[in-house]
Amino acid sequence: MPGGSRGVTRAKDLYRDRFRRAKELKEEGRKILGYICLHAPVEMMTALQIIPFRMLGDIYETPTEVDRFLPRAFCPFVRSVFDLSLKGKYDFLDGMLLVHSCDAMERTGRIWESVVDHHYFHFMDLPTKVSERHQNFFREGLDDFKKTLEELTGKELSFKELKKAIESHNEQRRLVRSLYEITEKVPPKISGSEILQVIGAITSISVEEGNKLLREVLAEIGKRKSGKLKGPRILVWGSVLDHPAFVEMIEDLGAHVVIDDLCTGTRGYWVDVKLDGDLLSSLAYYYLVELRCPRTFKEAPSDGKRKDYSADLEERFSYLREFTKTWKVDGAILQSVKYCDCHGFEVPQVKDYFNSFGIPSFVLEHNYMIADREILKTRVEAFLEILRGGVE
Amino acid sequence: MSGEGKRKYINRLKSFLPLRSKIDETYKKSLEAIQMGRPVAWAMINAWYGDPILRAIELETVYPENFSAVCAAEGVAESYLNRADADGFPSHLCGYARNCFGYVSRMTKELGGKIPPEAPIGGMPKPIFLLSSNIGCDARYKWFQALGRYLDVPVWVLDMPIPGVKELFRDGVYERCIRFIVEELKEFVYFLERVLGVKMDWDRLEKTVHDIEEMNRVWFEINELRKTIPCPMHSRDFWSAMPPSLFLAGKPAETLILYQEMLKEVKERVDHKVSSIHTEEKFRILFSELPPWHSLSVFENMAERGWNFVIESWGYHPPPPLDLSGISDPLEHIARFSFHFHTAYFKDALKEGEYYGYMGYPLLKFAREYKCDGAFFHLPLTCRSTSTHQLYLQEKMKQKLKIPSMIVSGDIVDLRLFNPAEVIRRMKPFEESMESYRELRE
Repeated sequence: MPGGSRGVTRAKDLYRDRFRRAKELKEEGRKILGYICLHAPVEMMTALQIIPFRMLGDIYETPTEVDRFLPRAFCPFVRSVFDLSLKGKYDFLDGMLLVHSCDAMERTGRIWESVVDHHYFHFMDLPTKVSERHQNFFREGLDDFKKTLEELTGKELSFKELKKAIESHNEQRRLVRSLYEITEKVPPKISGSEILQVIGAITSISVEEGNKLLREVLAEIGKRKSGKLKGPRILVWGSVLDHPAFVEMIEDLGAHVVIDDLCTGTRGYWVDVKLDGDLLSSLAYYYLVELRCPRTFKEAPSDGKRKDYSADLEERFSYLREFTKTWKVDGAILQSVKYCDCHGFEVPQVKDYFNSFGIPSFVLEHNYMIADREILKTRVEAFLEILRGGVE
Repeated sequence: MSGEGKRKYINRLKSFLPLRSKIDETYKKSLEAIQMGRPVAWAMINAWYGDPILRAIELETVYPENFSAVCAAEGVAESYLNRADADGFPSHLCGYARNCFGYVSRMTKELGGKIPPEAPIGGMPKPIFLLSSNIGCDARYKWFQALGRYLDVPVWVLDMPIPGVKELFRDGVYERCIRFIVEELKEFVYFLERVLGVKMDWDRLEKTVHDIEEMNRVWFEINELRKTIPCPMHSRDFWSAMPPSLFLAGKPAETLILYQEMLKEVKERVDHKVSSIHTEEKFRILFSELPPWHSLSVFENMAERGWNFVIESWGYHPPPPLDLSGISDPLEHIARFSFHFHTAYFKDALKEGEYYGYMGYPLLKFAREYKCDGAFFHLPLTCRSTSTHQLYLQEKMKQKLKIPSMIVSGDIVDLRLFNPAEVIRRMKPFEESMESYRELRE
């Protein structure tokens, strides 16, 4: 346990040095597999006593090695993670699971496998559409993944162990949702940047250890006194934010980031994996249908001859309306790293949706690196001023 | 450009001319049919996945990717790009997509659905549906989904499995993918029948599919002959002759005859050692991705110095021929052919420990088999799909094959990003590099 700390402090310690605990666990003989996108079925790794480790980038480290393999006009997050890997920082991993979540991941994955020597590397395809047939096809892909894990560990993945692992991860999902329940209150007792750090921490350790940490964090936050309402309540939407700096910047400007729609925030925790019937089918349903990410093609049911744009937006984004209502959101910041096509194409549609129920939104593109933050600050400040005109 | 109006150094094939006329005639006929009010679909380039079905059901099809390239060449893209910016689409998105958003925005918001008068090649009329797919890039379905802001027409996505190189060879994976694709195709046919109110003519589909396979077999054979020294066919001829294969421009049965004529001419050149450049073939070059359409004369400058462009990117070539004689279902033919396009080189890639089985590895294989001295990478700045692999390949070619390459930035829509003068300036140093690597190889 890092420095014997507990609760929020421990979460922040773990987040600050995400590799340390994983390396300790590795020394204790545990296998550790890296994954990047949320579409990795971590339950299957947990069921075989493998620790799923979410690989993140580093907004402070200038990518250098990656310039040999990837162009600069490319997802800066993926560039950063790959750069760290090329520099040997992920050498402690026993291998990697790379899921076809988007072009950037899929293409980089192929280069990654060709140039980085991992004992285990598995590429898992993911369909674009979500029908039952597509789920069944993906289920078969999960079965292939299962076999590779069994080959890696020399153990059979049993129904009982998989069920237990899903229960543990569902428990983690419930605990994270409890964290976000705290931010429903006005004023919130926990900041958005703290939540991102807690999530960053629990994705670097085993699910059991993560759940224990979450319970400590919840207990500690429960005892906190309510702060003051400083300013507008913000929803942050968009592509990966694996460092709290961006959210901290918004909060330092006097706003509360009370809810998010990020793959490093709510997205991985909002719905539980169903435990009835065939568990691989449940996982296929969860990871293909339930998990929110613009990479998946979803649309409103129609007669197949005419498309209704409003119905489509409602089908795809109704949760944002619920977020806005429950978390009493004053405005939304739609952020994305540059060159993220999936989020980039989505931006005007999400903006249309917020407009449809009168929530102001503001689009912000950035280069992922910390150096960008000061430039963005002025623009965020201007947006908050507009909101303040409405809320104060 | 200094190549214009001067002596031509590229020895063009005569057989590309009737092929080109046939392509133009096809475009013209299609345009006339559309102007007469025939329904039209918009489709993404789909690697023989949905196109055979569209042709068999005789639905007029336009390709917004091609249309955007023409808008760029005709100088109308800029105003469309500005409109897309104003509508909130990020400027780093695919230039073709942004051009299309701007075009549709103008058509629907300003002109009540009428084709903008400035639109080149007759414009694109409102479609009855949009056919997208995940083939090639995410933009191909995200783009059409985003068009929902302007067009109230359905989007149909054809999902193509994209397995990893070694994962493809796990037990049952290949056949599972084929079964999945066949089901995708069946659903697409039902969708089309519903939308168009007509039934698929299965005999016609069978004939179309057969013609496509035959046409591509001959086209593949032509390109195989380019391994000969000196190379009998230049990339300029490849690009001119590519649309009937890649976009099924023209009737495949007619194209087959024209490709057979081309094969005859190329064979004659091989027999008589006739080169595709009029100068001595000093350097055999691989060209990666699409060329700068507006500056093709720069290839004359290169031919003048003995550069012969002998092979192009994987993505524009048909796959190696596949024996499908035992298969009767035309949908299974399509499934196997299109999936083969993506995975044909996976086995060889795996043998060499290369996991970029399409886009990446085939170019290494081509560079070796076509005995290239160098590679010319045209890096389109707003197209991630065609630029992601270039640095990796540059590194691999150097490491594994001792073949140097030069990367020149450009764009698929913004023509100002390609600088022919830069290419000319870099020719001499690159020749020195190719010569020194040649010594290293020897």
